[in-house]
Amino acid sequence: MRFAMIALVAAVTAACGSSFPPPNDEYSAGQADVGRAESGGAPGVPDAKLHLQLAQEDLQKSKGLMDNGDNKRAADLISVARVEAQLALSLAKQQQAEEQARKAQADVAKAKGGQ
Amino acid sequence: MRTGTVLSFVAAAALAACGGEVPAPKALVDARADYAKAKGGITLQLDPTDVHEADLALQKAESAWQSSQDPNDEHAIDQAIIAQRKAQIAMAEAAALKAQQELQQAKTELEATMSAQLQATRGQLDKTQRNLAQTQDQLQLTAAQAAEQKKQLADLEAKLKDARDTIAKIAAVKDDDRGMVITLQGEVLFKTGKWDLKPGAMAKLDQIADALRGKEQPMVVYGFTDNVGAVDMNMDLSQKRAQSVRDYLASKGIPGDLITAEGKGPAAPVAENTSVEGRAQNRRVEIVVKPKKS
Repeated sequence: MRFAMIALVAAVTAACGSSFPPPNDEYSAGQADVGRAESGGAPGVPDAKLHLQLAQEDLQKSKGLMDNGDNKRAADLISVARVEAQLALSLAKQQQAEEQARKAQADVAKAKGGQ
Repeated sequence: MRTGTVLSFVAAAALAACGGEVPAPKALVDARADYAKAKGGITLQLDPTDVHEADLALQKAESAWQSSQDPNDEHAIDQAIIAQRKAQIAMAEAAALKAQQELQQAKTELEATMSAQLQATRGQLDKTQRNLAQTQDQLQLTAAQAAEQKKQLADLEAKLKDARDTIAKIAAVKDDDRGMVITLQGEVLFKTGKWDLKPGAMAKLDQIADALRGKEQPMVVYGFTDNVGAVDMNMDLSQKRAQSVRDYLASKGIPGDLITAEGKGPAAPVAENTSVEGRAQNRRVEIVVKPKKS
């Protein structure tokens, strides 16, 4: 009887875990976010590079979780990975825009100095 | 991990039972702080959409935390991390937008500065071109004036040569440091001891006046005598004879203010006074035409 109860609990637990579908689409979207961050210049900006690495690690972990059937946890981790990659891209954009603004302001100062 | 979770639940339950509050996980505390930063700064003004996204994510994280009350709940922690990153994304996007605005402003300023400089340079160029054109005009004018002056000088020289040739037919003409010297012998002009012009002298002086008229050159008529007689008398005679010639020339159209008379007496003889011929040569009138002052 006791064995039967344990078996039932195990079966229910397994059924609940497997009822959550593998987040394959989210995983692909996460990969796309990482790709955008990479091509957007994140590897060249220290802060952005850090978040890009976190995104890559989380995606890697989520893959392992999916392989083990822990799809729900994998989905959470993919969500984290996606915002890490998005933040990496935003930080890269910020750094590039600020650099361009600094350069343009220097050009203005130089032009005014030459008057 | 399972033991930890159980302990967390136990701790949470104990705190709840005692009326205490379970402290939120660090990730949620950080998310709240970053969201407050994003909402309080210019981020909300520049990027309200991402701030709203962060707001929704934070609400979700708070909800997850309220449900679990477990500081180690991975789902709640992930939601908190997502909320924090969303707030950070909003701040980074706003900073990028601000930098883009500054870039645009700098570009506009640069364009205005360059435009002003270009305009100033164009103005200077126009001014230089105008000055150049004026200089060229002046140069052309100067060249024309120089050509005209050269022509006038050539005309004058030609007229002077004509006059000299004409005068040379009736009187001795030479050049010395005083200018062109026209010498007329005293006998031709005056009777002995007189200063009234002979009729024949007038005819010669008419020709000389015709030749010199219009030259506008200063002239001096010098009277000379030989050394016979008192010097005072000779000085007086020579002065009167020079004056007679001067007045006659003036009456024939030579401007009076350009011609003067001066008696030299026996000074500056051109020949020995020991012979009749020499004394005759010394009795003379010299009309000196001075070079025209430029």
